[in-house]
Amino acid sequence: MAGKRDLKRLLPFAFVIPLLLAWEAASRSGLWNPLLFPSLEKITRELVLFFSRPEMIHEAWVSLYRALGGFALAAAVGVPLGLVMGRSRFVGELLDPLFSGTYAVPKLALFPIFVFALGIGSLSKVALVFLECLYPIVIVTSQGARGVNRVLLWSAGNLGASGAAALRRVVVPAAAPFVFAGFRVALPIALIVVIITEMISSADGLGYLVMYSLSSLRTDRMLAAVVVIAAIGWALDKALVVLRNRLVYWEKLDTYYV
Amino acid sequence: MGLARAAALVALLVVWQIAVVSGAPEFLLGPWQVVKHFVEALGTRELYDNIGASLGRALPGFFLGSVAGIALGLAAGSSRAFDQAFSPAVFLSYPVPKIVMLPLFMLWFGIGETSKILVIALACFYPMFINAYYGVRATPKVLVWSALNLGAGRARVFRRVVLPAALPQIFAGLRVSLALSFIVMFAAEMVNARTGLGQLIRIAENSLRFDLMYVSLITIAILGYAGDQLLALARRHALAWQGSAT
Repeated sequence: MAGKRDLKRLLPFAFVIPLLLAWEAASRSGLWNPLLFPSLEKITRELVLFFSRPEMIHEAWVSLYRALGGFALAAAVGVPLGLVMGRSRFVGELLDPLFSGTYAVPKLALFPIFVFALGIGSLSKVALVFLECLYPIVIVTSQGARGVNRVLLWSAGNLGASGAAALRRVVVPAAAPFVFAGFRVALPIALIVVIITEMISSADGLGYLVMYSLSSLRTDRMLAAVVVIAAIGWALDKALVVLRNRLVYWEKLDTYYV
Repeated sequence: MGLARAAALVALLVVWQIAVVSGAPEFLLGPWQVVKHFVEALGTRELYDNIGASLGRALPGFFLGSVAGIALGLAAGSSRAFDQAFSPAVFLSYPVPKIVMLPLFMLWFGIGETSKILVIALACFYPMFINAYYGVRATPKVLVWSALNLGAGRARVFRRVVLPAALPQIFAGLRVSLALSFIVMFAAEMVNARTGLGQLIRIAENSLRFDLMYVSLITIAILGYAGDQLLALARRHALAWQGSAT
């Protein structure tokens, strides 16, 4: 069995390795300008350079802390808000149309206004990340809170639990898998929004590094930055899944996704 | 309830207008001014040209990405061999922000339409693939067995049992993809474009034309909302048999 599991782990690379080989072939064929397909060796060298230079690490850190800052704020506001919307009919019916009505509206359009209000630095980006992450967290959490098994709540009440105790011991655990499902949607969005806003207007961060490398025709450096962004996105998701399986231990995630 | 909602909305607008009148910064226009500028812009050709350019990117990208995502997602959900060969790569790259491919596509295909449409298609592909995949996987096995028992062939089972069972999930994916296509379209236009609503908001920002900024904002909001409503309408038609569609 162990051998089979190891084989399964390698499966994603069955697709990646031919892709890398094709890349290298394209770069060596001489059909295209080497700027379009920098060789793997050059990209790797830039990657090594990336991790050996503190100012590059700093760029990654800036992006990461903007993404996580906005995400943490959205979680801190979104989870209680979602719980209240799910448990209180009045609040739910008042706020539901607001969230579902503006769900499909790209919040990114507010970015220029945020820049004027909060400056071109981190604050405007964190605010936009907060806004974009709030939606999935609130919507999915309120679904979870609404779907709590009534029998459990009645039992808790019968056994003498106060409203606060029932909330803490029944509603929160029942909604927890939904909360994490919302987090799982929101976390990649946080990174996307940070990268986009840094590409649009910024003087630091990985998104800026990508655009700066492109405009100075250092495509190998640009691709190294793209690899770093992809790795951060993947690592954040993995970390969230590990955390989720620790905290929501009674309901295992065994699929690839949600 | 409707009354409480309307009252909350009116209160919000009144507070907003009062805040602006009593001395807000220049970039905050009141609701009244926003509506006035928007109505004015509706009479200009410029707005429609930009809407056309934006939709000309978002819709082909959405279409390409959704079709590819649904087709491959259905295939991966139904065929174990294809699932094992293809799905791990998709799930591995799922949390990676797809917008980082935009500079690369700009490099390969130029800064014109192709690179933008492709990055929109790529962003739309993922939610479609995952929803179609799980839609197929969630088909009740009993239904498939019954159909097989009643003598239906594999193709027929797929068309009459699996596809209808996956349809609600596919619509859920379409909703996410459509919203994403607008976001990525806007982002791509803000990064680099000569036309479109994203570029309009960039010009407005750089030349401090706050009225144009709000016009672009309201337009994209209306387009996003209208697209979502159209999709909900299509969903209600396609899933009429499902009863209480949420």
